[in-house]
Amino acid sequence: MPLKILVTAKRVEDSESKIKVDAAGTGIVKEGLKYKINPFDEIGVEEALRLVAKHGGEVVVVSVGTKDVHEQLRHALAMGANKAVWVHHDGPIDQLGIAGCLQKVVEKEKPDLCILGKQAIDDDQGQVGQYLAEWLGWAQATFASKEESLESEAEKAKTPAIQLAADGKSITVIREVDGGLLTVSSPLPAVATTELRLNQPRYASLPGIMKAKSKPIEELTPAGLGVDVGVKLTVTKLAPPPARKAGIKVPDVATLVDKLKNEAKAL
Amino acid sequence: MATDKTTSFVGQLCFGSIEEDLILPYPKMKPAEQETFKSIRSSLEQLLKPHEKDFREWDAKGDFPATFIDELKQFGLFSLIIPEAFGGMGLSATAYSRTLQEVASYDGSVAVTIGAHSSIGMRGLVLFGTDEQKQRFLPKLATGEMIAAFCLTEPGAGSDAASIKTTAVKDGDHWVLNGNKLWITNGGIAQFYTVFAKTGPQGERGNVTAFIVTRDMPGVSTGPHEDKMGLRASNTTTVHFDNVKVPASHVLGEVGKGFKVAMKILNSGRTGLGGGSVGAMKRMIALATKQAKERVQFGKPIAEFGLVKQKLGNMMVDCYVTESAVNLVNHLIDSGHEEYAVEAAITKVYGSEAMWRTIDEALQIAGGNGYMREFPYERALRDCRINRIFEGTNDILRLFIALTAMNEVGSSLKELSQSLKGIFDNPIKGFGVISEYARRRASLATDLIKRDKAGFSKLHPALQKQQVTFEELTRDLATAVDRVLRKHGKNIIGKQFATRRLADIMIQMFVLACTMSRVSTAVQEKGAAGATKELEILEVYDQRVRRIVRANIGQIDENEDELVKSLADFAVDQERYIWDNVD
Ligand SMILES: Cc1cc2nc3c(=O)[nH]c(=O)nc-3n(C[C@H](O)[C@H](O)[C@H](O)COP(=O)(O)OP(=O)(O)OC[C@H]3O[C@@H](n4cnc5c(N)ncnc54)[C@H](O)[C@@H]3O)c2cc1C
Repeated sequence: MPLKILVTAKRVEDSESKIKVDAAGTGIVKEGLKYKINPFDEIGVEEALRLVAKHGGEVVVVSVGTKDVHEQLRHALAMGANKAVWVHHDGPIDQLGIAGCLQKVVEKEKPDLCILGKQAIDDDQGQVGQYLAEWLGWAQATFASKEESLESEAEKAKTPAIQLAADGKSITVIREVDGGLLTVSSPLPAVATTELRLNQPRYASLPGIMKAKSKPIEELTPAGLGVDVGVKLTVTKLAPPPARKAGIKVPDVATLVDKLKNEAKAL
Repeated sequence: MATDKTTSFVGQLCFGSIEEDLILPYPKMKPAEQETFKSIRSSLEQLLKPHEKDFREWDAKGDFPATFIDELKQFGLFSLIIPEAFGGMGLSATAYSRTLQEVASYDGSVAVTIGAHSSIGMRGLVLFGTDEQKQRFLPKLATGEMIAAFCLTEPGAGSDAASIKTTAVKDGDHWVLNGNKLWITNGGIAQFYTVFAKTGPQGERGNVTAFIVTRDMPGVSTGPHEDKMGLRASNTTTVHFDNVKVPASHVLGEVGKGFKVAMKILNSGRTGLGGGSVGAMKRMIALATKQAKERVQFGKPIAEFGLVKQKLGNMMVDCYVTESAVNLVNHLIDSGHEEYAVEAAITKVYGSEAMWRTIDEALQIAGGNGYMREFPYERALRDCRINRIFEGTNDILRLFIALTAMNEVGSSLKELSQSLKGIFDNPIKGFGVISEYARRRASLATDLIKRDKAGFSKLHPALQKQQVTFEELTRDLATAVDRVLRKHGKNIIGKQFATRRLADIMIQMFVLACTMSRVSTAVQEKGAAGATKELEILEVYDQRVRRIVRANIGQIDENEDELVKSLADFAVDQERYIWDNVD
């Protein structure tokens, strides 16, 4: 049975960029930053594409933000997603607002399954998937994962972590829990969120990038969707991690032991 | 003279005119193309980054595994410049060069493999191919089912490409090719060869024709993969043609016009090399700054020492100015400008030398680690050395730059323009006609410097100081060109020391003009405060160019050229260094 899957593509700062806290202490300096699709979302796109390759259907990718998010939508389209929805919003927005927009898009698109990243690597809030499932009244299978190295041949042969039942009416999801794996099952429609070790996303090939150019991006707005995106959760302080102290050289083992004991208090 | 498609910026500088419309405002990539490029960039990262360790191994081994070449094909890296209608990406020169920059920042061998395919291997087909030829080959070249190679160099014909010995003899509706090509990039992995062969009478120079030869034609063979200093994984072989029957429909361009085809291909492919240089420099700056911050000596990070700062600061300047020139020339190409051969050659010469300096200094900052194979510096240094040699040695290109640019001066005289037509095909030989102009000008003895366009009118006022310098230097260049032509007349061809000086002035001034354009546009957009660092780069580079130009001009009349030449002759005669402190 063909599946319609809705995935997300949040625009986040590239983890390779040098991040500096701004003068106000509540945001980061945006100059010279590179952006990319949230890696957890990219894994969601990959998982959706694999499911659709197997069962047929289509993948719709959604992003909320300024015109810049077109880059991330095009990226998902170039990977193979079929169409994109852009919820155009230029100002600040919090997780409630994003989940509200997604809920309305889901009600419009009526997918069988939503796959979201378990969190975004920019502010690590990890809330949107849960809000969305709650508001839709759907079951949620969070942190879909796999136990093995993603590169191993054994891993490639293994069954995927998100599987559709034979009747096409439910999914089973392998989840990571402390020290082991937990397999859950849920009727469709449902929401799943991805863990980093779920899969190794494909890269968009250049022909894929060319094809993506002519795939549609539908523009919506929070107002049009009837969503109040007034911010409730605000960032009041942002602090960089403490700078690492430079290493020192010690003349002999005795000094080392002494320093470990008295300065580092490691012994 | 009005600014039209055939105006060369540097050519006009020799005349004392600043064609500012050719370089202002500083161009930006179109938004749609930026979006495409960003997709390419992030995919390239996914493709190439996981291979970082492999690249080191493949360099040591001296080959790419076939599976990796297949990966490049599937990714679509062979389709960059092929029009969309034929299954390619249809990238502009700007986006293509920017893509090569990105690839070069991971590995030089990969950059050259795809660069030789697009920049020279099949560019002849894109530029000169008939519809039928394009239909037949471009779709296969786009998927990488066919990889392309450019076959010009021979054992006896390197810089002097017109002296090739490979022959093509007409036999009914076929040509029969015989000969050997040397050091052909992608030779062993290509299926599509752009081959240059003589189609004129035996012993006559020139009269060359370009052919499309495919690997499956009987009589085509290739030699073993060469063991090279750098770019070791990139495939380089001899290619042999033994009575190869090539259908007449495989002629590229016109019969007998192959030399022009070759020059056009090389001219339009050169900014790819410039783009590659920028990529390598950016990578070195990232490595060297990190290294300078982390390495502690004398109780301080070495980044705090003046001599390390000097290197890092210079690397920034070199990279910024090269990037400015490469972008501007790409923009000229993309906007349909026809006369950019001199400017493109400048990006190749300046870029390859700036890259060499930058990598060399980065290696120096890394100290002993820089010399270790474990770190990327030594490989980068080996890989980049060839850029000063292939696609025209920098020495030959310097002669080309100066002689072609001065030719622009001559061609403004109507009565001479006809006889100057052939000069582009062979700037070095054809230069004799310039002497006519020199004599004429000397006898006229009028005011030699044109009065119109002697200055900028569209630069941001923040660049006032640099503007004044540049206008001064332009007058100096025009006077110097005139003086050199008067002094040497017909013999300019043999006066390589003098020609080189003029070339160095032109190279620096063009790169400076591009940098001024970029900084001026940056100040216009971001305000002087937003462009502080860029203004500083310009300040440093401007001073440097002024000194280089003054020094070169000073040496036109006062120099030791004859002594240096006589020492060279002496050495060649002795074939050794004769002095020793042992009797
Ligand atoms: C790795 C690699 C890849 C290559 N790939 C290709 C390819 O794909 N296709 C292809 O056709 N060729 C290729 N080449 C060949 C390359 O283009 C030539 O090496 C180059 O053109 C120089 O020719 P040459 O080596 O014969 O040097 P020469 O022409 O013998 O020059 C030797 C030296 O003499 C100087 N010199 C020569 N003539 C003059 C003059 N008139 N005035 C002043 N100085 C002069 C040169 O500047 C140089 O310093 C490749 C070479 C290498 C090493």
